[in-house]
Order: sequence, then C-alpha cells, then structure tokens
Amino acid sequence: MAEMWISMGPQHPMTHGLWTLKIKVDGETVVDTVPDLGYIHRGVEKICESRDFTQITTYCDRLCYASANTWSHSYIYAAEDLLGVEVPERAEYIRLIAIELQRIASHLMWLGAYGPDTGNLSVLVWCLREREMMMDLLQEMGGSRMHYNFPRIGGVKRDLPHGFAQRARSKLELFLQRIQEYEALYDESTVFLVRTQGVGYAKAEEMVNHGVSGPNLRAAGVNYDVRWAHPYSVYSELDWEPPVERSSIKGADCYDRYRVRVEEMRISALLTLQALDKMPGGSDTYHEPGDPKLLAKAPSRAPEGTSGYHHFEDSRGESMFYIAGGGEARGKNPYRVSIRSPMFITIPYASKCMIGYKVADIPAIMGSFDPCIGETDR
Amino acid sequence: MASSDWLDVNGWLQSIVGWSMDQTHDLLPNEEYGLGPIESINPQSGFSSIQPALEAFFHASIMCTVVFTTLMLTMLAIPYIERKFIGRLMDRLGATTTLRSLWVGESGATAGEWWDQLPFGIGTPIGWTINTLNSIWGNDHELETVSRVNNRSYHGYWFLLPGFFQAFADFFKFATKEHMVPKDADKVVFEVAPVIIVSTTVMVFAFVPFGPHIYAANPDLSLLFMMAIFGVAPLGVFFAGWASNNKYTLIGGMRSAAQLTAYEIPLLITVLGVAVLSGSLNIIEIVDFQMGEEEGNVWNFFLMPLGAALFLITMIAEVERIPFDMPEAEAELVEGWWTEYGGIRWGLMFSAEYMRSYAACILFALFFLGGWEAPFQHTLSDLPVLGGVFTTIFALIPGLVWVLLKAWILFGVFVWIRASLHRVRTDQILEFGWRYLLPLSLLNLVIATYMRLELYGGGNWNLWVPAVVTTVSLIVFLIYIFDEDEEAARLKSRPYSTQAVVKASPGSHRD
Amino acid sequence: MSRVVPSSTQKSAAEKMITAVGRMKGCDAQLVERSSGTKSRWTVSIVCDPENWRGLAEKLLTTHEVDYCSLITGIHWPDGPEEKKWEVVYHFLRTGIKNPPDKDGIQQPIITDPTTVKGKLVPLEIEVSIAIPDTRSPMVASVQDLWIGADWNEKETWDLVGIDFEGHKGMRRVLQPHETPTGYHPLQKHHNIRYHGFEEMYDDAQGFSRKPDDVGKVK
Repeated sequence: MAEMWISMGPQHPMTHGLWTLKIKVDGETVVDTVPDLGYIHRGVEKICESRDFTQITTYCDRLCYASANTWSHSYIYAAEDLLGVEVPERAEYIRLIAIELQRIASHLMWLGAYGPDTGNLSVLVWCLREREMMMDLLQEMGGSRMHYNFPRIGGVKRDLPHGFAQRARSKLELFLQRIQEYEALYDESTVFLVRTQGVGYAKAEEMVNHGVSGPNLRAAGVNYDVRWAHPYSVYSELDWEPPVERSSIKGADCYDRYRVRVEEMRISALLTLQALDKMPGGSDTYHEPGDPKLLAKAPSRAPEGTSGYHHFEDSRGESMFYIAGGGEARGKNPYRVSIRSPMFITIPYASKCMIGYKVADIPAIMGSFDPCIGETDR
Repeated sequence: MASSDWLDVNGWLQSIVGWSMDQTHDLLPNEEYGLGPIESINPQSGFSSIQPALEAFFHASIMCTVVFTTLMLTMLAIPYIERKFIGRLMDRLGATTTLRSLWVGESGATAGEWWDQLPFGIGTPIGWTINTLNSIWGNDHELETVSRVNNRSYHGYWFLLPGFFQAFADFFKFATKEHMVPKDADKVVFEVAPVIIVSTTVMVFAFVPFGPHIYAANPDLSLLFMMAIFGVAPLGVFFAGWASNNKYTLIGGMRSAAQLTAYEIPLLITVLGVAVLSGSLNIIEIVDFQMGEEEGNVWNFFLMPLGAALFLITMIAEVERIPFDMPEAEAELVEGWWTEYGGIRWGLMFSAEYMRSYAACILFALFFLGGWEAPFQHTLSDLPVLGGVFTTIFALIPGLVWVLLKAWILFGVFVWIRASLHRVRTDQILEFGWRYLLPLSLLNLVIATYMRLELYGGGNWNLWVPAVVTTVSLIVFLIYIFDEDEEAARLKSRPYSTQAVVKASPGSHRD
Repeated sequence: MSRVVPSSTQKSAAEKMITAVGRMKGCDAQLVERSSGTKSRWTVSIVCDPENWRGLAEKLLTTHEVDYCSLITGIHWPDGPEEKKWEVVYHFLRTGIKNPPDKDGIQQPIITDPTTVKGKLVPLEIEVSIAIPDTRSPMVASVQDLWIGADWNEKETWDLVGIDFEGHKGMRRVLQPHETPTGYHPLQKHHNIRYHGFEEMYDDAQGFSRKPDDVGKVK
C-alpha cells in the first residue's frame, strides 16, 4: 500500500482533547507526523490584559480543566512575585493540600483514560469512581467540583472546612489501597505490558532540550522536579521524594511514564497526609475567611517596569506564568501575561516519538504523555 | 441418531407435514382427466409422485423458520449477559456487594418505593422482600463519605428482568435511522458487504443443532459446510472496509482481513482435531459420541483441553472481541471498518457480530462440553437409589436447555475476558496467530490422532485417558501461571520507584 | 525534612554566571532576588542587544549548560521608550540533567541530592530580555537549532505578537487558524478585542444595576 496522510482530526476518541494529528502511514507504520494545535485557542493571554489581577485567577482555572488548582496556583505565585507579597505559612500548607489533591485527581483522570486507549474499558469506571472521592474533597475546600478559584493573592480564600482532615484521611487511606487494584489490572496484564513496553522511547537529555519536564522526564531515570530544584511553598518542610523510574537504556517507554504517574499519586497522597499533620495551628482549627493567618494584604497594582514569574510543577510538567506590570496607565490590569504550558511543548515532541512505530501505538504513546489541550491552546 | 429427548421438533414437523400432504392427496380426485389423444393426468397419482419432494420442501422451510426463531429469541440473552456482567465487573465490588446491589439503596433508602405504585397492592410482597433483605444485609453506611463509592443503588424495575427489552429498543432505533452512503463510495460493493456478512452468519446456524431434533439441515459433512460458511464473512468485512472510501475503514478492513485469515487456520485445524477424536464430520454425531453410552461417553473438553483452549482463543479472534478487536478499535479507528455504515445496515452487522459470538459459544458447547447432555448424566442415572429420580428429571428437561445453558455460561467467560484485558496490537495479534497458535493447533491434531488411533479401542474411552490428560494439562497450566523467574521479578520491581521514607500517618503505602 | 536546593547555593551559582556573562559584549547581567510565597529565590536576569543575542545563546548552552528553554514571550510597547518598542523575554532553566548511565545493560537512575549540587549542575533560573527599537517588522535571531524547545515557542510568539525569528525553519501559525491573514497578530496593543473600550452603561451582564457615578476613578 502506498503512503498516505491520515488526519486524526479534531474530533477523535483518542486524542484526549481537540487537536489534529496528521500522520503519514506506510501500511501500518507511521512515517511522519504533523501536529496541529489551536482548535480551542481562547485568547486567554489577551483577555488577561484587561482584567484585574484577582479576576485572572478564574481564567487560569479553565486553562487545564482536568488540573485546575495547579494552574491557578501557578498564576498566583507569579502574581505574588510581581506584587511582592509574603504569604502566611498556614495558607501555604492549605495551598499544598489543594495542589496535591488536584494532582491525584488529574492523574486518576489520565489513568482512567489510558485504559480505553489500550482497550481496557473497566478501569475507566474504576478510576473515575476514585476521582469522585478527590472531587468531593476539592469541592469541600474550593466550593465547586471543577473550577475552584481557590487561591487569592496573598493566601487562600478560606480555611479547611470543619472535619475536613478526618474525611481526607479516611478517603486517602482507601485510595492508597485502591491504587493496588489498578496496578494489578495494568501491571499483571501481559497484554498491557506488551502494548506499552518498548514503545515510544525518549531519552532524558533529549527531552530536556525539547522542553519536556515533569513525570515524562522522571520516567527516564532523572529525578528532576521543580519542587526541589527551584523550591517554593512548604515542600521543604515535608518528607518526600519525587518518584523516578529506571527506564531502559534506549530511554523511557510508555510503561515507565505510566508507572511514574502511579507512584506520583502515592506521593501526593502521602504529602497531603503529612501536610494535614504538620499544619501550623492544626488542621482542625477554623479561621474566618480574610483572617491574616490565611490571607495577607496585597497591593492591587504593579509599578511600571516590574515583572514577575514563577516556575511551578504542574501535573504535566513545568508550567510558568510571566507577568509584566504596567504601572499607572494600566490601572489594576497587567500589561502582558504570558503562559507557559508544558503540553504545548510536549505534544510536538510526542508526535516525533511516534515515528517508526505502528498506527496502533499512537494512542498508547500519546496517552502516556498525558496531553491536556485546554492548557495547550490557552 | 442415538440421542433423543421429548422435544422432537423435527419429528413433529415431519408428521404434521406428512399428515397435511396426505390430506391434500386424499382430497384430490382420483380420476383420469383427458387432455387430448395421448396425455391424461391423474391428479392423485401425479400428486403422489411429487409428494416426497413437496414434503421435504415444506419441512425444510418451516424448520429453517423454527431454527431462526429459536436463534433470535435465545440470542436475546446474549446482550443481556454482556451488559449486566460488564456492568458488575466495572463496579468491581465483589460477589457479595454485586448481589446486594440488586436491592440496596443509598444509605438505606431504596429506589423510591416504586412497588407501592403498582395497582391492587401486588407490589407489597416485593416491598417486604426488599426491606427484609436490606435490613439483614443492607448497605454499610457508617462512613457516608466512603460509602458513596461503595454504594451501588439499583433503581430499576428489576421485577421485569431489568434491561431485558433494551435489545429490542436498540434494534428498533437502528431500524429507523437514516441510511447514508458516502458520496464517493463504491455503491454496489457498499450495499453488498453487509448482505454477505449477515447472510453467511445466519447460514451458519442452519447446520448448528440446538437440540437433538432442532436443526435445519444435517448433511453428513455438516461440520465442513459450517466452517466453510463461517469463513466467508471476512470477505464481506474487507468489502465494507474498501468500499467506504475512507482511510480509516480501509485500515480497519485490512487489519480485519489479515487477522481473520490468520486465525481461520488454527481454528480449522483445531476443529479437525475434534472431528478426529469423535470420528465423524457431522456435528450431531460428534455430540452423540460424547454422550453415548456405548461409544465415547467422555466430553471432548477432558480429552483435549489444549484444543478447547485453542478453540476459545481463535474464536474470540474470529468474532473480533477484545482482546482481538483491533479492526474496530475505537481508540484509533473510530469503529474501523464499519465507520461509514448507519441505520439498519450497521444494526445488522452489529447483531451479526453477536450472532457469530453466539455461534462460537454454541459450537464450543457442542464440540467440547457434550452438547445436550447434562453433566454426569449417565453416572447420575446409574446411581442405585437416586438414579430413578435423576432419570426422570433428565427426561423432562429437553436437550435444548442444556445447550443454551452451556452456551450462555461460556458467553459469560467471553464477557469476562473482554472486561479485563487490553487490546492487543495488530502485528502482535498476527504474530501470536501464526507463530504460536498454528504450531499448537498442529500439535493438538497430532495428539488427537494418536489418542484416537492408539488409545481408543471402540466402545467407551478408558477412564484413565481423560483423567491423565486433564491432570497433565492442569499441572502445565498452573506451572505456567505461577512460575516466577526470580531475576525478572527483581528487575521488574524497580527499586527506584518511590523513596519516601517516613510514613506520615497510619495507612498503607508500598515499601 | 525533604531536601531542596539551598538558597545560598542558588545565590553563589547565580553570581558565578553573572560575572561570566557580564564580560560578554552587549550583555548586562544582574542578580535579582524574587519572592516565592514564604521564601525567596535568586535568579539571573540578563539584558542583551539583539545583535549579540545569538552569541550569548550559544555561550549559555555550551559553557553554562543552560539546557532547558522554558518560555519565549513577545511584548509590544507602543508607548515605551524608543529603543524598546518591542521586547522579547526568554526564560531558561539550567536543570543539571545528564543521561543516566547504564551498567550491564541496566540503567542506573541519577538521583540528584539537592543539598550537594555544585558547579554547573546547580539548577538556576535565567531570564534574558532583548529590547528591539521601533520597527514595523521586529526580528530577532532564532535559537531553534540550539534548544528544540524554543521551536514552538517562537512559532507562537510570531503568531500572536508578530515578532519574527531569523533563521527559523518552518514558521507557521500554531494557535490561530492556518488561514489567518498576514499581519494579523492579536497581542499587539492596537488590536482591540471586540467591544474593547466600549463603555457599558450597566454594571452586570443582565443590566439590572446601573454603574455607579464614580466609575473609572482611581480609588
């Protein structure tokens, strides 16, 4: 059969979002790929130029809808850098709990979607059911199930609800047991191993040069994590290590990337439990919203010529906001907000990874990089 | 034939048709009618000369209708099993909670008390049953946050075998949908493909006996005929993939053609092994051999477990179920070779897929599980005291029931496999078929031939033969699944996976 | 306690890079202390001329082992000073990542201990800011061949802001549709989103409450 271009077009069950992947196939082998993003480009960067600093948080939730908390916190740290705000420690702990719970929920969504990519339909329902537990916790904290608008410049919008710590502990206990069930279904299935091992090799230095970071990078045998390399928040106060996978000598394959994320879920659960124990003031005390222990006073304008940026470990890699302040002329709005999405850089790299493998490997490879198109297209 | 039961549809039909033909014969006048100088017709004798052919024709057509109706009605259980079983597996709650889910509700409340709405209070005993079951064995709602994930409240009208009519509803939906042909598609081939697929699938059932007397046709070489027709459907699949003028369907059709061809051969060789073991290429004689008192009397499953496993695997590949459903993998190909079909054509092809699965299950039951014989039928009937009871019971239950039970249970196994395994990649499927299954099926054939020639001396099988074979296979199977290579296990455990040292609070985490 | 890169290590590594880069022509490097919630962090901030950018980029990659290009931002300053009508801000990270070695065919993962990193392996945040004077077609040298992560970032910058990159192969629209007309770069300041600057009478979307009289006044 001659070579032909196939467009796995914007609406496709595999693509985890709306983007086009054009592949050139020779029979069943992929010879070339051209990714085409921008289908849900909403112009968030331009919109942010006419919004207050506090109003931008809601937009950042909607950047990656599967992992909303990590994105709004990523913006908040950059805004605090710009405005020069110091955050109370209790607020940092609460933020950490929100971020890590969100990371678990995001990885569960990925795990649930990875099953149908490779053909297993049961695990989708199982993972979504566990995600319901995390959704319940996040709803208690933030007020809604998906876009919480949780952090404020200088702190968080409200304290942990009454009884949250006890509910969170019981749910995370159950979750840590349930992870073993997913592992059983995936790791002990020869078919899954055959589908994902030896597929989609990626080496560490090559990934770094391409701009790939996060779990995709840690699957290749290096333990680089923004949380310890450029420390922020209270990660230094807790005992944890980023999970690393020993990959093969040819690089990290899909199986390694899958295992890293499963271990990351465990680490995030442990981090949350530790944070609940170590919170200053205890996790059972309740402060009213606006209490100085939760929220510091923050200026609402940025002087001219200042800028703020912050690197952040998002569920999918290293995300960053760069905000240029505009001074008096801009009022309470920033001059320019620039968003770095890890997936925007990783998807072209993943498309390159697919060359040489079969068409049937495309969902396995693409799914293992965990794309989320909301943040890619902004 | 040797085996028989009271549901003698064939015989009844034969006598009815014969009786009606005789009545017709007697009604006709027995006189000579002159049509001219040479010719004269006697209607009665004229009718007598065509009567056998006419009887056979009526018998055959009515029997085909009866068999087709039996097929379609009993096939309604298949989507039901699939839907319910997959639903329970996806809940993965375990047998107890699954059973409990039929009556329990959220935190003790049940299903809106729908039974009180039934007229004349007929729902009251239902209410008593549900409430009693709930109070004895109800939902654990101590920790209501956690019970939200454990909870499985079933709010259906389960007194009507809930979801039973879903299959009808689905089919009517398909029947009323619009029929679209892609603009540049090859119209003739596009329309012909579903016809080929569905018609060959239904034709297969012409040779499949549902009971000792329920079959449409029984030639001497029915097995051969049936497998030949079974193998024509891939041609229709390929037509469908090509004619749709769509790159996705083309890839799907190619994959399907390659996969089905690759698995036809081990399938046929395995079936040949069954035929060798049973000494006949006629399906009814194969079943009679397994259940006969003078001949055979051992189910082929225990004589040839390898063959049974091979038949199962190749049949799952032939009917394109997960783990072998690459041709229609919706992760990449969005329904594969039948993407462009809509409406009744898709509905027919979808039901053809289930018909093929059903045929695979029934064939497994007939070839390996003794067909319409009850388990241990002769042994139980020969017991000293209870033997009479059992004989009566077995005489009352028609053979059809046993065939259907075995087929449905086996379909449950198909669904179980579907719910738990991932999809195998096409080239891996082909490699598996050509490099592993083909040699194994040849090995199976050799073993079957040896057993038949050397170990079978007419009459019954010696009892040690199936015992030895089954034990050896079981041991090999257990060794295969439990053997752990120390080195590989150590490498696979990946000690760098997690490095957190301190347990934050009582709870389990993997060390 | 978990191990993180200590602040002092960051500061000394930043100072070393600043002295090295400051010696280059056309570059001016500064140590900037930025805040990060409860802590502070030390970053390197370099201001460079457009002509010397390529040389600086190669130096950063080869000598200072800055291996990760994080973000490329283009900013349009129509009201800014003459020599800074356009600005391109690059953000890099030095990650200190090397390919893990293999021993006997099995890979040995590199577990970096953050408290003991030193030299060129210390993770560092670097910001390079290039000011482009007033022109209708701003252009800067492309670093697509040095950091492949810069590839799509440069495409996006051109697509949205209009700053071209010299030597970039395969420049195309990435976030906007392929058929977007030439010259359409929405993040330039004269591009107004529809209804931008439109004076609304009502404060809320449904039009129940009129805006108060002191709207627009600085509080």
